[in-house]
Amino acid sequence: MNERKNTANEPPRARKALKATAVVSSYQKEWFTGLRARVEAGEDFAYLNADVPMEILRAMDIPFVVNQWWAAICSAKRMAPKYYGLLKEAGYRDDLCSYCATALAESLDPDDKLSGPWGGLPNPTIAITRLTCDCQSKIFELFAANHGAELYVMENTVPRSTPSKWWELAPDRWEDLYDKDRLDSAVEDLRELIAFLETKTGKKFDMKKFIEVMELVNEQEYWYKKTRDLIAETRPAPVTVVDTINAVMPAQWQRGTRWAADHAGSLYEEIKALADEGRFAVPNEKHRLMWLGRGIWHDLAFYQRFEEKYGAVFVWSMYLAMGADAYIRNNVQSDPLRALASRYIGMEDFLHMPPWNSEWFLSEARRNHIDGVVYMVPENCMQAVEGSYFIKKIMEDAGIPVLIFKADPVDAREWNRETMTGLVEDFIETRIIMGGNK
Amino acid sequence: MSIRKCAENNTAFRRLNDVYRNREKELLIFRENGGKVVGEIGCDVPDELVIAAGMLPVRIYADRESSLEEADKYLELSFDPVIKAQFEKLVNGSYNDLIDFLAVSNSTDVIIRTYLYLREIKRIEPDKLLPPVEFIDWLFTRKPMYKMQNEKTVKRFWETLEEWSGRKITQEDFIAAAEICNKDRAALRRISELRRAHKPRITGSEALVIIGSAFFMHRSEHAELVSQLADDAKSWPEAEGVRLFLTGSAQESAELYTLIEKSGAVVVGEDHDWGDRFSSRDCNLSYPPLQSIVDCYMLRDFSSKKALVSERVKTLDEAVDASGARGVIFYINAYEEAASWDYPSEKKSLESRGILTKAFVKMSYPVSANVGLEDKIREFTKALGGV
Repeated sequence: MNERKNTANEPPRARKALKATAVVSSYQKEWFTGLRARVEAGEDFAYLNADVPMEILRAMDIPFVVNQWWAAICSAKRMAPKYYGLLKEAGYRDDLCSYCATALAESLDPDDKLSGPWGGLPNPTIAITRLTCDCQSKIFELFAANHGAELYVMENTVPRSTPSKWWELAPDRWEDLYDKDRLDSAVEDLRELIAFLETKTGKKFDMKKFIEVMELVNEQEYWYKKTRDLIAETRPAPVTVVDTINAVMPAQWQRGTRWAADHAGSLYEEIKALADEGRFAVPNEKHRLMWLGRGIWHDLAFYQRFEEKYGAVFVWSMYLAMGADAYIRNNVQSDPLRALASRYIGMEDFLHMPPWNSEWFLSEARRNHIDGVVYMVPENCMQAVEGSYFIKKIMEDAGIPVLIFKADPVDAREWNRETMTGLVEDFIETRIIMGGNK
Repeated sequence: MSIRKCAENNTAFRRLNDVYRNREKELLIFRENGGKVVGEIGCDVPDELVIAAGMLPVRIYADRESSLEEADKYLELSFDPVIKAQFEKLVNGSYNDLIDFLAVSNSTDVIIRTYLYLREIKRIEPDKLLPPVEFIDWLFTRKPMYKMQNEKTVKRFWETLEEWSGRKITQEDFIAAAEICNKDRAALRRISELRRAHKPRITGSEALVIIGSAFFMHRSEHAELVSQLADDAKSWPEAEGVRLFLTGSAQESAELYTLIEKSGAVVVGEDHDWGDRFSSRDCNLSYPPLQSIVDCYMLRDFSSKKALVSERVKTLDEAVDASGARGVIFYINAYEEAASWDYPSEKKSLESRGILTKAFVKMSYPVSANVGLEDKIREFTKALGGV
């Protein structure tokens, strides 16, 4: 079956029901305007990959934008075809690393200030990435050169030990979660990063302020945990992934601020009220679906196409659940930098390495009463290569069917909505309904 | 041109070529005599330590004829085809009677995934007979703090090898092994000089055999043979043709070189891990052992997998200049993405100095699966003034 044909017509926009989603959408624009003003006033501005420990920059009050968040904005604004065309014109391949290379592509656009999302990305003075894949440092170096920014690269290590149920160890027993030397090394990395930022920006790192940031992150993620648990136990679900992805993903990159913690609290209260009032996202909910992989930023309405016909509802994505399980670090005061190290080095392990990811996905599927898993695997991203065989096996051994398909989270050029819809419909009919899962 | 009569008639070359073509021959003899063999995936496993432990290091290599039944089951589409074929042999049992242990270095992302997947297969499917695996997690960024971390990593590998071999590795053991490897690398650099000479005495295809045979035999014997060959080849006839440099995917066989050299060119250098990069840096024995190993493997010529674009541009420029090549072929297998990000900057830098480039990307494996490749190479050679 050909999964990858072009369609000319634009996909419909997703229905977003939550006030918290509208709030974050409007906030991020306002925040971005403020950020631009700071950059134009001459402040240093950092561009970070998503796995960089941004809490350090937050504590130092260095404005920053996260690469993957910006790629999602560009994709939602349907800029990808133009940007990848620019890459090709510049001699690069246009079929590589789309999620990470969107901003590089944008940096080649001479009209960016006029036609880029929200007036385009201001010129960063600092670009920071981690070596979590072979291509990332190259993309960041090229991006930094185009903007005249200084590049800073942080190393990455691979876990040797694989304790089970990382999500139970992470909040309090992170020393048991990692090889000691990995944590030691990551703390040294943080110290070097701080020294670099102090030299570059002239701003001083303040441990007291940093602890405040870490506590605010805990507060925010605590609300996500409550929200995740609420959705898991409420049937029909009060919201779908379209609501939670849009409310959580942008706010996650604001973590460590009072606004983000309050927003997470208001998100919980809003969903709790819906559940209490019996207002469900899809009242005829029959099948609960789990979405594995990054969001389809160019076609979020896709998630809603199976609700009316089948009562099949996407209730789970990693965006909320990672907030719930991966970020909280209690007793930060005991060793704040080590607590942060234990957060940021784990992201790659938790999400992309079996058995850390596969066991967690299964645990989440059970908690959320999942009937089927739809799993998007991008073809052009080695970082997202995460052991799909092992994930599928652990799920299906537990009686939860899995559909794996190839697609790209930000590049819509080869996305065929109808074909993909057909694939999922067939999966629902043959594996979930006829398969006896429901 | 490829492998010429002068090489075929040379005793040392004949022995190296025999090992290169019959890659299991030496390790089977070694095992029959009670020796233990360490298979290696990735080009950054310190052979010196394996040899110091009294074991034989051999490279895991792809079998171009094999089906990919197991690999297709476990690996996603975006694994490059050579690694996929190597993985197939490990999982389908081809190596069961050939290696005792497996050492994996994080030389590229896809190899890291290979390690994780093998580890997980061992855990959840114990019926698969996989050897004990050790992972070597280098930090390639050149900062002092990472050198210290790397020393800890090497120390762990040292201890693992002691456990595997059942004997202590003394400092003297290490020095003796490192001296052998340094001698071998020095001999290989003499071969490189003969390739890069005004009148090249060794073809790229011949060089690939000479270098690659090191991965499948006793290093001391290899060093002796290469040293002898470097003396003999001084009087070999000139390898005539347009001087070309090859960069990109590692070439485990001489198939691509044969095509290039058939087109009227001679490959005077390359920077992949089955070529000149293998011998680019010695262990400095004035350092303590751990520091010596880290210095050798961390500070080698930048690999396209673990370097910034600017680092690669500089490294490639220097290597091409040293080779006197007039053109550079970029040959990149499908799903080997990293080098593709380097290419536009490398091309710009090379062409600004009058060196022409030709890129072949998303290439299928084996080389013969690429329809029309020979014609395109011939066109490029012709554009450079070849026959």
